[in-house]
Order: sequence, then C-alpha cells, then structure tokens
Amino acid sequence: MTHATTPAPAGISSRRARFWTDNKSTLIGCGILVALMIVVPFTANSSVMNIVVFAMIFALPAIGLNLLMGLAGQVSLGQAAFFAIGAYTHAILLTKLDLPGPVAATVGVLAAMLVALLVGLPLMRLRGHYLALATLGLGFIVMIGVREWDVTGRTTGIYGISRPTVFGVPIDNSGFFLWFVTPFVVIGLILALNLTRSRAGRALSAVNDSELAAESLGVNTYALRLKVFVLSAGFAGLGGVFYAYQVAIVSPTTAEFHLSVSILLMVVIGGLGSVWGAVAGAFLVQFLGEGMRDVIPAIFPGATGEVQLLGYGIVLILVILLLPGGLHQAATTLWQKLPFAGKRPPVDAHAHAAEDDTTIPLLPAVSTPVAAGEPILVLEGLTKRYGGVVAVNDVSLTVPAGSILGLIGPNGAGKTTCFNMISGALAPTEGTVTFLGQVISGRKPHVAAAHGLTRTFQNLQVFSSTDVVGNVYMGRYRKGSAGVLRGMLGLQSGEQSAHRAAAYEILQSMRLTDAADDSASDLSFGKQRIMEVCRALAAEPALLLLDEPMAGLSSTEREVMAELLRRLRASGLTIVLVEHDVAQVMSLADHVAVLDDGVLIAHGDPESVRNDPAVVVAYLGTDLDEAEAELTELEEHA
Amino acid sequence: MKKSRLRFIAPIAVVTALVLAGCSTSNLGGTAEADPAAEAGPIKIGAVLDVTGVGASLGVPEQNTLNMLAKQLNDDGGIGGRDVELIIIDNQSTEDGAAKATSKLIESDQVDIIIGASRTGPSLAMRPIAEAAKIPMISVAANVAIVEGSEWVFKTAQNDVVVLERILDDAEAKGYTKLALVRDATGFGEGVADYITELGAERGITLVTTEAFEPSATDFTPQMTNVRGSDADAVIIWGINPSAGLAQKAYMQLAVNKPVYHSHGISNQAFFDAAGESANGVIAPMGRLLVADQLAADNTQRKVIEQFQADYNAAYGEQPSGFAGHAFDAWHIAVNAIDAAGTDADALRDELESAEWTGISGVFKMTAKNHSGLDASALILAEAEDGRWNLLKD
Amino acid sequence: MLTDFLQLTVAGLSQGSVYALLAVGLIAVYTVRHVINIAQGEFAMLAGLGSVWLTAAGMPLLLAILVAILSVTLVAIAMDRLIIARVKKLTPLISIILTLGVSTLLQAIMLLAWGPEAKGVPLFPGTNILIGGVSIRSQEFWMIGALVVVGGGIVLFYEKSRWGKALRACAEQPVAARIVGISPVAASVLAFAIAGFVGGVAGVVASPIYLSLWSGGVLLGLKGFVAAVLGGFVSFRAAIVGALLLGMIEAYVAGYVSSGLRDGAAFLILILVLVVRPQGLVLKPTAVRV
Repeated sequence: MTHATTPAPAGISSRRARFWTDNKSTLIGCGILVALMIVVPFTANSSVMNIVVFAMIFALPAIGLNLLMGLAGQVSLGQAAFFAIGAYTHAILLTKLDLPGPVAATVGVLAAMLVALLVGLPLMRLRGHYLALATLGLGFIVMIGVREWDVTGRTTGIYGISRPTVFGVPIDNSGFFLWFVTPFVVIGLILALNLTRSRAGRALSAVNDSELAAESLGVNTYALRLKVFVLSAGFAGLGGVFYAYQVAIVSPTTAEFHLSVSILLMVVIGGLGSVWGAVAGAFLVQFLGEGMRDVIPAIFPGATGEVQLLGYGIVLILVILLLPGGLHQAATTLWQKLPFAGKRPPVDAHAHAAEDDTTIPLLPAVSTPVAAGEPILVLEGLTKRYGGVVAVNDVSLTVPAGSILGLIGPNGAGKTTCFNMISGALAPTEGTVTFLGQVISGRKPHVAAAHGLTRTFQNLQVFSSTDVVGNVYMGRYRKGSAGVLRGMLGLQSGEQSAHRAAAYEILQSMRLTDAADDSASDLSFGKQRIMEVCRALAAEPALLLLDEPMAGLSSTEREVMAELLRRLRASGLTIVLVEHDVAQVMSLADHVAVLDDGVLIAHGDPESVRNDPAVVVAYLGTDLDEAEAELTELEEHA
Repeated sequence: MKKSRLRFIAPIAVVTALVLAGCSTSNLGGTAEADPAAEAGPIKIGAVLDVTGVGASLGVPEQNTLNMLAKQLNDDGGIGGRDVELIIIDNQSTEDGAAKATSKLIESDQVDIIIGASRTGPSLAMRPIAEAAKIPMISVAANVAIVEGSEWVFKTAQNDVVVLERILDDAEAKGYTKLALVRDATGFGEGVADYITELGAERGITLVTTEAFEPSATDFTPQMTNVRGSDADAVIIWGINPSAGLAQKAYMQLAVNKPVYHSHGISNQAFFDAAGESANGVIAPMGRLLVADQLAADNTQRKVIEQFQADYNAAYGEQPSGFAGHAFDAWHIAVNAIDAAGTDADALRDELESAEWTGISGVFKMTAKNHSGLDASALILAEAEDGRWNLLKD
Repeated sequence: MLTDFLQLTVAGLSQGSVYALLAVGLIAVYTVRHVINIAQGEFAMLAGLGSVWLTAAGMPLLLAILVAILSVTLVAIAMDRLIIARVKKLTPLISIILTLGVSTLLQAIMLLAWGPEAKGVPLFPGTNILIGGVSIRSQEFWMIGALVVVGGGIVLFYEKSRWGKALRACAEQPVAARIVGISPVAASVLAFAIAGFVGGVAGVVASPIYLSLWSGGVLLGLKGFVAAVLGGFVSFRAAIVGALLLGMIEAYVAGYVSSGLRDGAAFLILILVLVVRPQGLVLKPTAVRV
C-alpha cells in the first residue's frame, strides 16, 4: 500500500538536481581538497610538503578508524596492525614476487581485511573495553610476528620498494606522490561519507543510541559491526600500501602502539563520527607532531626521541574533557555564530513533497501472513528465573492473528520480562516462543524482527541523535535491502527516499508531522511514545508488541492511539499490549491475560476476566468488595 | 549531519592556508639550481644517525664527532674554499626513520654524500634509496650485507666476518670446539650464526646453540639458561650496549662459567656502565682506539688516534668510543674524496673506490670490490678488567 | 634439563608477581569505576624511574622507594580527581581514550624528565643463592615477596574489611557502598590509590633486574590486563594465579621456543581467553559481564 505512493520516477534533469542537492557539500569539500592538493607541491617548502604527504597517507586509516569508533561505537587500539599488514603484504609482493603495483596493493588491502574478518568474527561479540584491549594485543602480535618471521624481513623489515610508475610517469618525488595518493583519499572519503548516511550507517548510529531498539527493528548489530571493522581495516591497509611506497621500507615500527595512538588521536581531534573530521585530524596531528618535535627540545633542553607524545597525551585528555565532539563540534559551533549562516533548507526537500500527495492512505501498512483467527504467536511453558527468583513461571498461551491481547497484572508481575522473552531481548530459562511457526525464543531481537515482530518499550528507547522522522525511518530498516557496499557506493537513494516518504505517511497517521524535523529527544514524553509506536509500525509488522503505549499520553492522544489500534486490528494486525490503564485494555482487547507473581492466573475475553474473582483479588488487593468497587470506579472514570 | 560536512572544509582550508604560507619550490623533482650554481654553494654532507633509541650509545658519539670535524674543517677554510654544510638527522634507531631521513636528505636537502646509519638495520634501509638516487653513502655500521654488491654504499666499521675470524682464531688457539651464540636480534646479529658455522668449519669449531635478544631487552634469563644448559666450551655475546652489557650481567648472575667473547659492538663506556663487575674477563676484538696507550710507539695509527682523543676530549670532556672512530673515518674518507673528485656523484664514487686512509678503526684500502676496506689487521683482542681494556694481542 | 626448567620457572614466577600486582590494580579500579586503566603500567615505570632519580640524588634506597611509591599513589588519585571524575557519562569508549591520554602523557613526562634510556634501581639488599644449579637472584625474592605481602594484603582487605567488602559491592550495586558508608567519591579515590600503590610497588621491585623505561609501561600494563582477564576482571585470586601462570608460560616460551615470541604468548592467550571464556577462569558462565 505504502509503496504505491512513492514519488513518480523523476526525470533525468531532476535526478541530476537531486544528486546535486544530496551531495553538494561532499562535492564542494572534495573539490576544495583536490584543489589544495594540486596547489601544495608548487608552494609548500619541503618539510611542509612532507607533512602533507604523510597527513594524506594517515587520513586513510583515520577515516577507517573513525567509521569504527564513530559509527560502530567500537574502539580499536590496533589500527596500526592493519596498517602494517597492508604495508607488509604490498611490500613483499612487490619486492619478492615482482607483482605489478595495483595487484600487490589490492592484495595488501584484502589481506588487512581478511585478518580483520578472522579476528573480528569472535571479537566483535565482545563489547566495550574488551575489543579495545584485544585489538591492542593484536597490534603487539602483528609486531612480534613480523619481527620474528623471515618472510617479513625480521627486525629490519622489507626494504628496497621502488616507487610506482603511473601512465609511464615515475612517482619519484613527493609532489607527484601527493597527486598519486589524493584521488584515493578522495574516493575513500566519498565512500565513507556515503556509508554514514546509508541504511547501514543509520542503523549503526541507531545502535549507538539504543542497541535494544535497533535490534528489535531488525538490525543485526554483530554483523554490521563486523562489516565496519573489516572495512576500517581495509582503509588502514590502503594507508599502509601508500606508506610502503612513500617510505620505501616497511619495518616493525609500522605496527607500533604509538602509531595506533596517533591514528586514534586523529579521530578524536577530528570528532568521533565525522569523516571530514578524520581528514582534518590527520593534518592536525601531523603538524602537531612535527611542531612538538621542534618546540619541545627548545623548551626542555636535551629532550630527544618521541617528545611529541607530550602533546598527544595532553590533547587527548583535553579534547575529551572540553570538546568531546572534536574539531567537528568546534567547526559546527563556529559556523552557527557566523552572521551569514542562515537557516538551511530542509535536508530532504523531495521527501516533504509526499505530504502534498492526496492519495496518502491514513493507515500504515501491515503484513498479514496468516488469516485472522489462526494462531500467530504461541508461548509454551515460558519461564524465567534469576538465581532463586522466578520472574515468569510456566506461561503458556496462544494469540490468534488479527486480535488484540491485553497483558495485565500488578507491578512486578512479570509482564515486561514476558515481553522481553517474546521479542528476543531476553532468553527464557525454559519454554519456547513460536512466532509464525518459527521458534524465536533465545535468539537475538533482530531475528524476531525479521519475521515481522516489532515492539515498543516501557522505558523509552528513542534514537536521540536523529530527528523524529529519522526515528520512524529507522523502523523501515527491515523493509530495506541495501547493505554496506551499496551504501558506500551511494546506490540506494531511490530506496531511501521511498522509505522516507513512508515514514512521513506513518507520522501523518499519528498526527506527528509537525514535529517531524524536531530532534527526537526534544519531544514531550507522550509524543516520544507515539513516535515509538510509529517507528514500530513503520516496519510493517505482523505482530506488534506495545509495552505501556498509553503511559504519559494525554486523553486526546490516548483516543487517537486507541482508535489507531482498532483500525490496525481491523486491517489484520495482531497486537499484544501491556498496559496499566486497565479500563483501556478492557475496552480495546479481544482477549486479556492476567499475570500475577509470574503466573498466568486468567486468560479469556475481557468480560470473563473482569468477573474472575482470582483476578480481582490478585490485581487489586485482598479485599474482594473493595477491589470491585475500585474496578467499577475505574470503569466509570474511563 | 550534512551541514557539518560543509563546515569541515573550513579547518582544512585553514590548514592548507598554513601550507601555502611557507612558499618554496622543487617538490616536483626538478633541481631548482642549475649545476654551476650548485658547484658554488656549500658542499652538503648529510648524516643519518641513531641519536636516540636503542642505538643512542652509538649515535651520540658519532654525532659529536661529525659536528666537531665539520667545525674544524670550516674553520680551516672548508674544501677547496667551499664551506661544508653538515645536516644530521636522527633516525630514532628505526629503519623507517632512516629511510625517511635519507629521502629527505636526497630530495629536499640535495646532499652530495650521506654518512650513516649507526646500526646495520637502518643502514640496510637506507641503501636502496641511496642507490636509486645514485648518491654515495658511507655507513658506520658493521654487517657486511650493507655493502655487499653495492655500487654506491661504503662502510667504515670493521666487517663482522673479520671480527668473527679474530674470535674464532683465538677460540681455536685455546682449544674450544663448541661455541654458543647469544646475538642481537636486529640486523647487526643477522647472519652471524651462519658465518660462525662457515668459518668455524675450517677450524674444527661447531656452533651448538643460538639465542637472540632484542636491543631493547632487559631480561636475559631464558637465553642464558639455555646457554648454561648447553655443552658449549665458550660463548659469544654479539650485541651493542646497553643490551650486550646487560646480557653479560645476567650471564654472570645465572652462574654460567664459560669464557665469553663479545663483538666490537661493545667498544664504549656504556658496556662497563651496564655490566659492572660482570665485565671482568670478557674478551673482545676491537679497533685500537680504546687501547691506544698500550700500542707500540711506532704503530701507524697511534698518532691519528691520540690526536682524535685529544680533540674529542677537549670538545666534549670525555673519551671517544669506537663508534666515534667509525664516524671519524667516514668523515675523512668522504672529505678526502670530495677534495679530490668534487661533488659529481659518479666521480665521487669512483674516488671512494680507490680511497686509502689511515684512521681510527684501521688502515683503509677501498677497492671496487671491497667497499669496507679493512682486513683482520684492523682488529686487536682486548680483555676487560675493572672498567678498562687491556691489549691482549695486536 | 630439570635445572633449566626450574630456572625458567623461577624467572616466570618473579616476573608473574609483577603482572599480578598490576592486575590487582586494574581490577581495583574496574570494580569501582568500570574503567580499564591503560595507564596502570605507567604507574610502575614512574615509580621505578622516580626511585632511580631519588637514589641518584643521594637518598637512601628504602626512603627513595617509599617516596616514589607514595608519589605514584598521589598521581593515581590526581588522575581520578582531575581527569576521570570530570566526565559525567563515562562510556567504555571515553574511558579508554582518557586513560590512554593519561598513559601517553605520563610516558612523555618520563621521557622528558629522565631521558630515553632504560634505568635500574640499585639491587635491594640480599644475596643470590644457588640451589641444585638453579640460581635465584635476591631481587627475585623481593619481587615474589612483594606480591605475597602487598597483593595478599589487598586481597585480605577486600575480603575481610568492611570497606573492602563495600568496594567489592560497588561492582554489583553502587547503593551497597553507600549503605556501608562509603561515598562514591571515596570509593573511587580509594580504588585509584590502591592501583597507584600496587603499580608503584611492582615498579620498584622489578626495576633492579628488569629496568624501568619511559615506554615500558604499556606492555607491562597489558600483561596485567591479560592476568585480570583470566580472573574475569572480578576475582583477585584468579587474576593472581593467572598472572603467575602467564609469567611462567612466557618464560617457557622464551626458553624453549624463541625469546622473540615471548610477548606474543601473552596476547595469544588474551585473544584465546576472550574468545573462548570471556568470563575468566573461575566464574560460572552466567556471571559474564562484557
């Protein structure tokens, strides 16, 4: 249904225009960078020239590490290891096997990526500190390996790498070399920029905001992170290839820890998550290092060796303490203070066009894989124990398709635990969850999501780094197909705009279009909740799990929500909701299940549950009369 | 996200504006000055030395020596009226650093000749760069691989093969038949085991165990434990200081009681600083510098050594080491050749190939085939005793 | 053959004692702040080089090492108060970058203050002994003794004293610490003080034979980290056992395989353990918190 409203295929000229608006800043930026790199060899003195060449070489591993840290939220302290693998492989193939340069370089990059894949497969399951220290260890292993292996020339390394010849021109001076390396940096930059705003890039930034929510929308965090890790190693390997050419020797120092630190510094200075920042950081760190080597011996007479580390250490600490966004943050703040920095046009003009389309259906699409009344979700003996505490005890029930099941119970009855087991966020201790005939319990949330089960959260899980439409747009993740590669090549703008339009439609159905461009974290609590529902609906689910969807909503909003849920049911969607507002549940649900102390004490239509004495006692207190009175009062209130 | 990208152009622009500020040319390979102009300016001698890092105990005295000699030469009017500009770059004891420094000396400083590096590894890294640019280079490191088969590279430290011959001759005379080797893991120690096996075969000496250590190592227990467990009659420790001195110390602490030979890589005070009392009894082949006072009065080298010792002591308040001597010889060989042949690279190289020089490390006689120029006569055997070397055999 | 094996074992145990002390410091900080302190190894080098400097200036050995250890303890506390505590939301990413920054800064300061050469504190009093061909250096007794006294003392402190138990509880629930009467600030200061202290002790006892070098801390700290991982970053006892094992494995690899591969062994173990048993050697798999 939704797809029908995708904007009509644009003509060639408008497609060109769109390409320009989409990529204007990238193109301008790259243009300026290229222009500068053309000019530099004619104007710079030799030491500045030298710094610029190495800055461009190190920009590559820095861009890679920036993707890993900024996008995938993982720290690697072993970027130099991949740099060294690229450099060594390239050098060995050139000097020992006499392979042509492009072949050797390609194999070098691939070797770095292959090693990253092999270590990443087990390591990317680890979070936080562990990956950082494991990669740090990897750096040492690579350094020790090349130092002890005859093939890598042991401590001396591989020397005698001759400079490349491009179209018959030998690259035998630093000016030519700069021109040789620049196109690769620019291409790398464009690929990285494309990736950050691709489907995969958005998914990763969503993972950084809320891994739980992203996974429940179908994001396979592990696989994506692994891909970015491998990619970042590829960038490092390419940097190593150029390094080998430029220095003409590859020795174990290329795998050194201090090199990893300086690459990390480039990323931190530039600003985590900013690709241009990584490039700027590479220049800054090279100039800083060179400057410190000149300045420090002047301040401390007799200082020798790697004195630039003083600056590195101070800058690392100060940037994190005072300017956590790095140069990127500084530049953004500065720009906003400039008088001519007026309001920018909306980012995606064409997506707004969808609003004027008169054929928008008011109801989001749902998928109906089974006929109404057939069982869609089956819980069997579902149990969760924490040590001695039983949170959910042997719950079995069947949810028929096209119905609304209300799950109620007092606080701490195990409703949310039950929910988390259904969605895959928690593995049950015993029992199974079968969705559409597939056992999904004990697997990650993205598996359930892939089958068409999405959810909202009692404790809101908004993607705070993007706007409202961006949040809902993430809900479309499951419906997209573009992977990391397509994302990098920028071959998904058609898919993206279609999804963006769909996101707008869903916002419209919940009357949230006004807030579409607001930052998600600026919304009121109630609006955030509605946004989460929109986000879950954007995935076109077959089963929607709503954890307290009414909490914090105004009465008008509740009405809109309730009305939407009824209409969704009518169109075939199955809904399971946990809700405190018993009256709402009773009026909405086809079936009600009651949990008390983790035990399912009643299950049936609202009327029979309402009259079940056990429920009344359990739910509302020990005194039956008092409880009934309260219940009646509640109903009247509603 | 998108706006920020545009904003990022600003810092890059600033950085590159800085780049543009320093204006110059010749980054594109073209030698800016025409040759006649080059003939008129100062003669440029580049040096790449291990001033910091693991090779610092070699590089620092070498740097001192070159600075002192350059000053002396310019005070005396330079070479043929032209001043000599000495450009020393610290390679931080790394191969990468040496390669970068060499490229810089050739591409931007456009030096006429290069001296260095202090150790074998960095020297090997420099060799192909100097050869590709066809610039003569004189290494002050030991391993013969630095000069083997090279048209453009020379060296002034005694060849490791010659040093080994000296050690093996002594071992044979003393009746040792099995040797253990504990060697530096870097370029300096590479190939040593093969030479011992090869040269030992003629003398009925076999190598029974080989251990290696990094020049940055501080713990030698595993290596020395293995040496202790072997049935060797004597041990060769082959390294530079401080690691060779520390290895000697660990050797004594672990109560290995076999005689020890060291290489010429320890001919400086740093050995006694690191090894302390453990050094007593160590035998090492070395140049005549450290035992100059014990030489025969008519020794041809004695005069030049004593003059150098006096000059160095006057300038730096300490005695020069054997490494300072290698730099001294490299400098004089280079300067003499430039004096005779000018700065044309080919002519200079041809001149170097016929260089003869009575210096600190021995009496040099370079040929087209021998770019090292020293034979076994350059070495003496000395024994360590209470912080000084006693001449055993000249 | 047996002599060689025992000789390597002695070397491994003494080296392992140093790793164990560093692991204790790492775990102390991690339990309270969930920060893996990359600067832990620098504490050891700082104390070693500081002692060298003080003894060279004429201070008696014992006084010099005490002053050095206490100074390093203060440096660690300052690191917490001036840098770590200033960040409100301490994600793993931020904490790694910060402690890496401190590590780099300390290295640079040591390089500027004391130069690039490795230096050793004078040997502690004692005589080397030779038992059945196995030579045990007096300093090795000091190293193992330091672990027994300082490491053992800290384990007892954590297991027996009220404050120690509260600090341990911090790992599980910060509220627990309050109940016993430790403010989060005090807990954090105490944890860093312990880290600085054990790092300092490790640094001075190892310095006479393993020397102190401005850049030596990273590798040493990482070995401590490997040991801490073996203890699941929770158990001091398991980490100490792991550290001693690591020291011995390194010595055997160096002795029987190749001395160049020695450091590689530690990191292979690290990666293997992280892959196979990230929860460490002792805990049940359910207790994993990665």
